[in-house]
Amino acid sequence: MQRAILITLVLALLAGVVGVLVQLRELSFMSDALTHTVFPGVAIAFAAGQSLFVGALIAGAVSSVLLTVATRSKRIDQDSFLALLLAGLFSIGVVVISRHHTYSADLTTLLFGRLLAVDTLEVIETAAVALIALGVVVAMRKELLLRAFDEIGAEAMGYSLLCIDLAVNLVVALVVVAAARAVGTALVVAFLITPAATARLMCSTLTRLVATSVAVGAVGAWLGLVISYDTSIHQGWRLAPGATIVVVLTAIFAIVAMYQAVRTRAVGHETTSSSTT
Amino acid sequence: MRHILDLYDSGVLRRALLEAVLVGALCGAVGAHVVLRRLPFFTITVAHATFPGIVLATIVGLSELVGGLLFVFGLIVAIYVVAGERRLDTSTTVGVALAGSFGLGVMLQSTQNGFSRDLTAILVGSVLTVQRHDVVTTFIVGMVVLCAVIAIHKELVYRAFDPQGAEAQGYRRVLDLVLLLAVGATVVATVPAVGTILAVALLSVPAMAARLVTRRVGTAMVVGAAYGAASSVLGLTASAEWNSAAGASIALASAALFVGTFIIVSARDQVSRHRVLPSVAHA
Repeated sequence: MQRAILITLVLALLAGVVGVLVQLRELSFMSDALTHTVFPGVAIAFAAGQSLFVGALIAGAVSSVLLTVATRSKRIDQDSFLALLLAGLFSIGVVVISRHHTYSADLTTLLFGRLLAVDTLEVIETAAVALIALGVVVAMRKELLLRAFDEIGAEAMGYSLLCIDLAVNLVVALVVVAAARAVGTALVVAFLITPAATARLMCSTLTRLVATSVAVGAVGAWLGLVISYDTSIHQGWRLAPGATIVVVLTAIFAIVAMYQAVRTRAVGHETTSSSTT
Repeated sequence: MRHILDLYDSGVLRRALLEAVLVGALCGAVGAHVVLRRLPFFTITVAHATFPGIVLATIVGLSELVGGLLFVFGLIVAIYVVAGERRLDTSTTVGVALAGSFGLGVMLQSTQNGFSRDLTAILVGSVLTVQRHDVVTTFIVGMVVLCAVIAIHKELVYRAFDPQGAEAQGYRRVLDLVLLLAVGATVVATVPAVGTILAVALLSVPAMAARLVTRRVGTAMVVGAAYGAASSVLGLTASAEWNSAAGASIALASAALFVGTFIIVSARDQVSRHRVLPSVAHA
C-alpha cells in the first residue's frame, strides 16, 4: 500500500507537470495515441519473456519518433494519421497477445496494471523515468514555452521545431512508460489530461497551472487509493485502485467545471474568455 | 482459393463475415464525415464510453445496445455543452471524457465478479460470437444512421467547409450534435463486432483511403464503404486462416489497404506532376 501511494504520487507529480505542456500544445490526442502505441512493445516483450519495462521504453521511443514525423505530414490530416498509427500499432499488440493461451487475463493486466502489486524495483524504475522526463522539461522549458506560444517566432529564431516536438513527444512517452506498470497503459491518459484540464479551469498563469495540476493529481491519486482501499477492506466492495483514481480525478474536474459554469452565469457579463486561446 | 472458400463453410464464420461487412461498410461511409470534421479522437472517446455503458446495462439489467446508446448519447451531449463553453480546447474536453468514462467502466467492472472475459470482448471485439439478432441490430442502426447523415448531407458539407457561412445562413450548431450522435450510434453498433479501438480504425482508415481517391464527400462515402467492407473480408479471412484476433486483423487489413492506396496514388502523382491531388483541406 505504501509503495502504491508512493508510485501514484510520483506519477501525479510527473504527469501534472507534463500535462500542462500537453494542454498548452493541445496534444491530448497525441498522448492517447502514445498510450496505445506503447502497448505493442509491452505485448512483444511479454510474448518473448523479456522485461516489460524495456519493451515499453523501446516502443515509447520508436512510436514517439513515428508520431512526430506523422503529424508533420502535409498530405494527410494529422488526426486521421494518428488514428491510423494508433489502431494499427495497437492491433499488432493484440495480434501478438492473442496467439498466447492466457490471452484475456494477460491483456487485462497489461492494459490496467497492478497497482497494489508493484514492487520496490518498479517504484525505482518509475522514479528514474520520472526524473529523466522532468529533467528534460526543466532543461528545455524556455524552448518548449516559446514553441507553444509563438511557433513562427521560434522557427525564425532558428530553433528546430522538429527537435522540440520530438522532445515533447518523447517526454509524454516516458510518462506513459513510467505509468504503465502501475495504472496500465489504458488509464495513463487520465493522469496526463484531467489534472491539467482542471487546473486550466481555475487559473491562467503558468506557475499556478503547474502547481494546481500537480496538487489536483496528488489529491485525486491519494483520495482514489484511500477510497479503493477502504471499500475493499471494510465494505467488501472491490474497486480497482487505478480506475478509482481516474474516476475521482474526473469527478474533481466535473465539480470544478460546474462551479465555473454557475459562477460565470451568476457574474453574467464577465467573459469566460479571459484566458489565452 | 478453394481452401479460402472452404473456411466459410461454417455458419458461424458466414454470420461473422456478414456482420463484419455490414460494420465495415457503415463505418467506411460515416467515416467520410469523421475524417472531414477531424473526429477520430472523438470517435476513440465514444468507443471507450460504450464500455461503462455496457457494464452499467449489465448491472441494471438493460440490453447492452440500449445501455451503450444511452451512456454514449449522454456523454456526447456533455462534451457538446462543455466544448461550447470555449474555456478548454475541444480535444482536452474530449480527452477528459475519454479517461473518465473508461475509468468509470473499469471501476464498475471491478466490482463485478468474473467479468474480465467480457472486458476483453469489448476491447478487441468478438465477431465470431455475434448472434443473428446482433446482425439485425447492426443493420437497423446502420440504416437509421445512414438515412440521417444522407438527409442532412448538404448542410453537413456546407458546415464543414464554411462554418461561418453556415452560421450566417441560420444553420445552428445543433447540426454538429446530430453528426456526433450519428457517429456515436455507429460506434455502439460496431463495438460488439470489432471492439473499441478497432472501431476507430474502421471509422477513419477506410475513409482516409477514400479521401486519397476522390475529393467529393458523397463519393468518398461510397468508396469508403467499399474499402471498409473489403477490409472486413480480408481481415476476417486472414484471422480464420492464421488464428489471430479477428478485430485486430480487420484493422490491420484496413491499414494495409490504405498504405497500398497511398503508394499507388503517390506513384501516379509522380508520373503526372501537374495533376493536383485531392489532399485534405486544412481547416
